Amino acid sequence: MAAAETHHPAGLAEPGRLLLIAVALTFLGLFLVLPLLAVFVQALAKGISAYWAAVSNPIAWAAVKLTLAVAAIAVPFNLVFGVAAAWAIAKFEFRGKSTLITLIDLPFAVSPVIAGLIFILLFGAHGWFGGFLRLHHIRVVFAVPGIVLATIFVTFPFIARELIPVMQAQGKDDEETALSLGATGWQTFWRVTLPNIRWGLMYGVLLCNARAMGEFGAVSVVSGHIRGMTNTMPLQVEILYNEYNYAAAFAVASLLALLALLTLAGKSFMEWRQPELRHATRQTRDRTRRENT
Amino acid sequence: MSIALRGICKQFGEFAAVKNIDLDVPTGALIALLGPSGCGKTTLLRVIAGLETPDEGQVLFDGRDATLWPIRDRKVGFVFQHYALFRHMSVFENVAFGLKVKPRRERPAAAEIRHKVNALLELVQLDWSGDRYPAQLSGGQRQRVALARALAVAPDVLLLDEPFGALDSQVRHELRRWLRRLHDELHFTSIFVTHDQQEAIEVADTIAVLNRGRIEQSGVPSEVYDLPTSAFVHRFLGQVNELPVRVRDGRAYVGPIDISSTAAVTGGATRHIALIRPHEIEIGPEAAGWPAIVTAVRVIGPIVRLELCAEGQPVNEPLEAEISRERFEGERFSAGQKVGVRFRRWQVYPAGGAAA
Repeated sequence: MAAAETHHPAGLAEPGRLLLIAVALTFLGLFLVLPLLAVFVQALAKGISAYWAAVSNPIAWAAVKLTLAVAAIAVPFNLVFGVAAAWAIAKFEFRGKSTLITLIDLPFAVSPVIAGLIFILLFGAHGWFGGFLRLHHIRVVFAVPGIVLATIFVTFPFIARELIPVMQAQGKDDEETALSLGATGWQTFWRVTLPNIRWGLMYGVLLCNARAMGEFGAVSVVSGHIRGMTNTMPLQVEILYNEYNYAAAFAVASLLALLALLTLAGKSFMEWRQPELRHATRQTRDRTRRENT
Repeated sequence: MSIALRGICKQFGEFAAVKNIDLDVPTGALIALLGPSGCGKTTLLRVIAGLETPDEGQVLFDGRDATLWPIRDRKVGFVFQHYALFRHMSVFENVAFGLKVKPRRERPAAAEIRHKVNALLELVQLDWSGDRYPAQLSGGQRQRVALARALAVAPDVLLLDEPFGALDSQVRHELRRWLRRLHDELHFTSIFVTHDQQEAIEVADTIAVLNRGRIEQSGVPSEVYDLPTSAFVHRFLGQVNELPVRVRDGRAYVGPIDISSTAAVTGGATRHIALIRPHEIEIGPEAAGWPAIVTAVRVIGPIVRLELCAEGQPVNEPLEAEISRERFEGERFSAGQKVGVRFRRWQVYPAGGAAA
């Protein structure tokens, strides 16, 4: 492995290699590192105390709590759905399979604004279920349930998309072996399937979580922008920004960025702790290659 | 446990993988399902295991209808070509899996599991490997772990799907002999799938040759090899020379050689071919047979393979003959030499039918 990392393609001269690295680093710096830095610089532009005042503001805190709560509901929901869908698609043949695959991708294809509007259309005052909901005093749109629904819709594909190729590459042999050894379906899932897909699953959960916390468009449509009640962090950032309150806007934004960085750090930490992750993906690849020859 | 298949059919979409197959596997037998890829042998094995449900027909275990039994209840051990070891478990945990997933009241105590797993690892000569992970073992070692894992639950039947297909020839040869010994020691019923006729002949008591979803012939290896009932089986079990049969004055000829003694060939419309294995070709002096020229000589260990261009035959379709090394040392055939060819044995089949 070490040899492969230091090896560079034959025929590519030293200057060419340096140029490629320089281009990649410049690009990363301009488009990723610089904006991230700018967020923190802007957030701290008026000093630590102003920053602290902005993030400890009760309305800002309410936004943080709402964002975390929405992610805490949406991610487990999509975790269960994603595993079930990936399992069905990768391990079984059935009618309508390709339709299911297409449907899973729908939230990626549809603009988030339209996703939000769908829920207004369904659950809004004049929507299909509006009358029923009013009768039972249930608020969906312009309330937390609507935000959760919109977030679940938008983050639907992440975990399933991550798992389908992993499960397809692994095939059914392991599960069939477990069954032939007398395991129940449930035992097979917990002891064989889940350990086999855990890294793909973890990665899907991280992506899903990042999007759930950061979603703007769909949530913006259904939220109603009630301060301290239905504003998530991205919405709060926008409101503060539109009020020319830049320092506060960037302070909340920096919290959001921090959450994202924590997520990435969590992923790197897991990879570092579990060298078998790299190992596991390599083995899967070997197996697929062998089967293709 | 004896296994019987009655009229098994299995279709995948438009493709009929298995067509109306009957097969009897007596208790303690070691039978090979042999055939080219796509002949339905793996599907048949999976039907027996309970991994596929047949569209029609019955699977009988000891005379009882097991067609719809779930795989868990069949007491079959299944071994895959690519081992299917659980890669997040150590070798020990892999072998112990079947014991650990038993319901609580049937599950052996931890000490007993340990004892049993160690005994099995010893049986497959891998007692040193309990703490290793599958990725740290070679292909042959992994397949032995897979076998130990299958044996841990004391199956009545062992089903092996191309078990040695992914191994190199040296290891394959070793494992074949080892499997045969294991089978003789433990007396379970085994069915294994292979596309390698050598492997089937070496290991099995009975060979069932499959072609296009049907069993073409089954029997003991020597019988299937020596007395194939169709051109397909003849071709599939080893090298053959294929020659057209010509009918003249009510007698059948291959080249100038009269083969009427065994071939009941009449002058009808059906054309026939004769199949002759390389070792069934006799080479003598030019005057004593079908004149031919030696075009190539290849020494392959104990045997020597000669290519012969017989008179009246296309040059690009030479006959292949095999003689022993001893005979070759005595006669020293060389390229360009003129010889006479005769046949020791041959079989005649209608041409075109049952082609591979």
